[in-house]
Amino acid sequence: MKQTLWMMTGVAVAALWLTGCASTPRVREVELDRAPITSKLEPQDVRRTVEKMAESLLSAPGVREAVGGTRPVLDVEPLKNRTTQHVDMVSITDSLRMQLLRSGMFRFVDKSTSGTDIEFMDAQANLGLTDPKKAIRPGQQSAAQMYLTGALSEIKTQVGRTVDQYYKFSMTLKDLRSGELVWADEQEIRKESVKPRVGF
Amino acid sequence: MKRMTTLAGAVLLTAALVTLTGCVETAGTSVTTDHMAGTSLVLEDSTRLRDQLQVLKVNYDEVNGLKRVHITLQSARHRRLRLNYRIAWFDINGMEIDPATKTYRNLILEGRDTVTVTGVANSPACVTSKLRVRDLEAAD
Repeated sequence: MKQTLWMMTGVAVAALWLTGCASTPRVREVELDRAPITSKLEPQDVRRTVEKMAESLLSAPGVREAVGGTRPVLDVEPLKNRTTQHVDMVSITDSLRMQLLRSGMFRFVDKSTSGTDIEFMDAQANLGLTDPKKAIRPGQQSAAQMYLTGALSEIKTQVGRTVDQYYKFSMTLKDLRSGELVWADEQEIRKESVKPRVGF
Repeated sequence: MKRMTTLAGAVLLTAALVTLTGCVETAGTSVTTDHMAGTSLVLEDSTRLRDQLQVLKVNYDEVNGLKRVHITLQSARHRRLRLNYRIAWFDINGMEIDPATKTYRNLILEGRDTVTVTGVANSPACVTSKLRVRDLEAAD
């Protein structure tokens, strides 16, 4: 009788322990370059790629030749996503632009905000709120001399419980006047995950 | 009674082992290079990593007006080493420049192999570099 009582208490404690833990998620801040948790593209992969691309571009001899002491005007086009995953390519482009901007080697224009520029100029010219002498008129913006473009592609292989995922970021810098490719580089990432034998 | 003492000892030892193995050492090896004075300082804060990895050579140059550092590392082990490294940059006042943009990268070193890691400053204001190598297990 006493043994049964002890056993029932033990089961109740175990049940409480197991269910009680799951009710509130445990949240903590982790470092930006944490260890991988999935075989998908993760923030640390993107951060490493942006850093590698920026370093490669800034130290390439071909870029120095093309820049030649001037600070050419550069536009960064959003990378094309050729993978099956949803990846915010505009965010990657923004990070890369920010790192290149800090080097002081280029000047930048942003084609994606041209619509907003027109709205501002239109408002300054037509609403009557701005001093007409100080209003910015269209037709004075700098022209992009070079542009940066690229793509992200993937190859996924699954054998049994093992998933092998390969990603490749490739980027090129093109001189708009000559049409020449000034710089090109790629970053490869390969990850493997093994599904557990038992699980959902 | 003696049996109970032995059992208690075994339980304590197990608990101690579990506690100790749960702790991951995050200290590692660092190489600080002053690009103006041309000096390098190697600090090996982890005894475990010190036995696994050696800093062979530190070179530095300048490319497109930006400082660049090359550090050659050698594995002292015969098995594969999985490490993380990060190269941070500091200005003349010792302030770290854009710390968030410098990431921990993966480094896989084969047994007794040598590899050179390279870092480029992202601003002309950077004059000091600091390489930090840590065990892969130190990552969250």
